[in-house]
Amino acid sequence: MTASSTPAMVELQGVAKRYGEVNALHRVDLSIAKGEFVTLLGPSGSGKTTLLNLIAGMITPSSGRIVIDGRDATTLPTNRRGLGMVFQNYALMPHMTVFENIAFPLEVRRLSKAEIKRKVGEALELIQLGHVANRKPRELSGGQQQRISLARCIVYNPALILMDEPLGALDKKLREQMQLEIKRLHAELGITMLYVTHDQDEALTMSDRIVLMNGGRIEQQGTPDTLYFRPETVFSAEFIGSSNLIPGTVEIGADGAYALNTALGRFAAPAPERAIKAGERAVLLVRPENMALADAATPASVAGHIEDSILLGGVVRHFVRCADGSSLIIQELNQPGRSGAHRGEAVRAAWQPQHGRLLPPAPAG
Amino acid sequence: MNELFGSSRVARGLVSSMAWLCYIFLVVPSLIVIPISFGNPGQIEFPPRQFSLELYRQFFTDAAWWGSTVQSLIVACLTTLATLVLAVPAAYALARSRLPGRGGLQGLFMMPMLVPVIVLGLGLYLQYSNWGLLDTTAGLVLAHVMLTTPYIMVSVMSGLQHSDVALETVASIMGASRLRIFFRVVLPQLKISIAVGALFAFLMSLDEVVVAYFLTGTDTMTLPVKMYSSIRWELTPVLAAVSTLLTVLSLMIALGIIAMQGKTEASK
Repeated sequence: MTASSTPAMVELQGVAKRYGEVNALHRVDLSIAKGEFVTLLGPSGSGKTTLLNLIAGMITPSSGRIVIDGRDATTLPTNRRGLGMVFQNYALMPHMTVFENIAFPLEVRRLSKAEIKRKVGEALELIQLGHVANRKPRELSGGQQQRISLARCIVYNPALILMDEPLGALDKKLREQMQLEIKRLHAELGITMLYVTHDQDEALTMSDRIVLMNGGRIEQQGTPDTLYFRPETVFSAEFIGSSNLIPGTVEIGADGAYALNTALGRFAAPAPERAIKAGERAVLLVRPENMALADAATPASVAGHIEDSILLGGVVRHFVRCADGSSLIIQELNQPGRSGAHRGEAVRAAWQPQHGRLLPPAPAG
Repeated sequence: MNELFGSSRVARGLVSSMAWLCYIFLVVPSLIVIPISFGNPGQIEFPPRQFSLELYRQFFTDAAWWGSTVQSLIVACLTTLATLVLAVPAAYALARSRLPGRGGLQGLFMMPMLVPVIVLGLGLYLQYSNWGLLDTTAGLVLAHVMLTTPYIMVSVMSGLQHSDVALETVASIMGASRLRIFFRVVLPQLKISIAVGALFAFLMSLDEVVVAYFLTGTDTMTLPVKMYSSIRWELTPVLAAVSTLLTVLSLMIALGIIAMQGKTEASK
């Protein structure tokens, strides 16, 4: 984990949350380093919001310990945890001006009038919205309101800023702008951030580390690179990026080389990170961009016919229907003069065996 | 098409004239006192055959009339204040907490709306006579607080439904105490619902005759009680002037309430 060198800002030790019979969160251990940008990624109901609310103190854990900035905060009331939070719907006080909104946390901390004025001015400068100080939030656009809400956090330098799908209400272009803005502020100010989203692109763009949640557990955590290139489970592979998954049975040769026997043929593959025994079920993952259309049979290729080809600007995506009825996605770079693939054309989907990755099969159900 | 349009216009005309008739039927009896109040000071007369302000002069100079008016205003003001202090925090607690028995508590607060006023008046009369609260301003204010609490609570709770809980959460995360959240975040957003509820409570207390009739005596008689007894015993035309003044005051308060409710909608 990346957290080993710097002291932890937040540490969850065996934290779990039950509602009656329902486990909203199974025992979770998680450590967030000072200055780190960690994203909780997962589908709705995966426990990411529960985890956020536990850290914020809006709910108390059924078991386990929460340490924030070196002190035990398990039962500490929300208002004494020294956190900041940005909500999807901005949560700006409608009866206060922009200035008063940003001044509010400083007022709570009993700063002098002069100091409040200076700090709010600096925060507004930082988000380049100095000219709206005297307006009410509802006179501003969604993007501006979210920047105000960010400034309101930054202004009092909390130990950790929690962000609950902060860009969910904005349109795509604005969202991309804001992603960069948040990244910039994070880099400039070195604030620790815990970001919750269900949007994998957002997670990949922004995070130092992604914590992927599934069914109230941490499925996998690591850098965006790790999660994309070295997923450990079928869930991780499917949730981040698109993927081709070919199920089969593992075969280990005399030389220790792995291969997978599938309905589409026998494919060589690199040895998996977590040992899988010969004869066990497994899934071969090949990312669409690692597959290409080929004319001739190669060691790792599957025959099929083009079902559809779609142009996504810089890349083209082919959907290939295989003999057994399963379908594969091939993604190629778009080039001028590219020989077009026609619907129904017989093709082969080929990949380099070292780009394949063996994963344990998805749990039943 | 044309024919359809024509007949619907007739129907629409019929409906609106019916509505106007009903409206006039409801309003005219209240308005009839206005010309009377400017008429003959000797006897109640409609239509009036002379014009004078004599009845108003009598009202403002007669200590009995003026005294009960002041008493009514004092009771209404105290009732409004006491109800606000009681009902606003109660509504907030009921709307935001997960207290066990929350539904029961809410029902308890709403009860005075359901109990017939005359029953309440009788009950309070019997109870107050034991406690020595009869013919006291405090006793009457207490009784009026009971009557007005449900209305302020309903107004405030509906205001709370429109205010986002996330604002209180974010204030708490920023370090604000519950007290500060209540005064700096919750109350400012409830300004209009509180003002509407307060005006309503003021008006109710000012108008209330049944409970006041049971509980007041010569020292604490409110204006509606004085009017009621004057109808029974002397039937003076000053009543017309008093009624006119009360109607104007009520109308102004009602317009105030409507204006403020319009403002909340505009800010949504």
